[in-house]
Amino acid sequence: MVKAYTQEYIFKHPWERVTSASWRKFVDKENKRILSHILEVDTLNHSLDSSSGKLCATRAITVHCPGPWFVRKIVGQDICHCLESTVVDARSRSMQLISRNISLQKFIEVEEKTRYDPHPDNPAGWTICRQETSIRIKPLSALASMAEKVEQKCAERFLQNSGKSREVMERICKYLEAESSGFAL
Amino acid sequence: MRSKRSPSSSTSPCAPLRDAYHTCFNRWYAEKFMKGHWDKEECVSEWQKYKACLSENLEDKNLRRFLEAEGNVQDDHRKDTADAAEVG
Repeated sequence: MVKAYTQEYIFKHPWERVTSASWRKFVDKENKRILSHILEVDTLNHSLDSSSGKLCATRAITVHCPGPWFVRKIVGQDICHCLESTVVDARSRSMQLISRNISLQKFIEVEEKTRYDPHPDNPAGWTICRQETSIRIKPLSALASMAEKVEQKCAERFLQNSGKSREVMERICKYLEAESSGFAL
Repeated sequence: MRSKRSPSSSTSPCAPLRDAYHTCFNRWYAEKFMKGHWDKEECVSEWQKYKACLSENLEDKNLRRFLEAEGNVQDDHRKDTADAAEVG
């Protein structure tokens, strides 16, 4: 069983500002209260190709993911490590992120792919964000018999969290906009 | 019953160095990289201090692999994309 869904969202801010906000959303302290499921974010490596303007980075994200009690009992923990790899191509103005869990893999595989591109109708002013998520309970795991239910619950939680994430991104964008025009909020 | 919120590879001893690096990186990204100045990497000393701390404190073996594999990020991403295509 795989539960998959896609989301699309338009930020009425330029691509440069939106991608700056994307880097900040998990690390700015002001967001910790809203994004309380994000426990730690560490950059593990990064590289810059100075001739082509390509930036790559890998971050480890520690997420608090409490499930229903019976799932917690089987899985034995409610902390999950994810790996996020990002490629930004400044020349063609694209940002791509792939996140997946690297712990609890014998139970579940979650992959989230996100792209930020200039919006075709207003490339200088707006940004389109497309996100694909897939959630898969491993067929032979202890969770297999309730796979559909667990996948559904996970999907609900992720959708809730990506709503919060967007809210935070919008706020950072506003802040950056004010900053760039010389005002501090 | 709630399990404790202590991830097996807590890197919190590095929090001040991590904050310093992320603050520097975010400023560089918005003010230099996004404005076409991608010829020069900045925040190098912040990164080295933070990375040294991570090397001491990161226990998770899975994550260590990535810490040690600097410079291979893009390959990972390509591999990720290829893997994803296979799965899909």
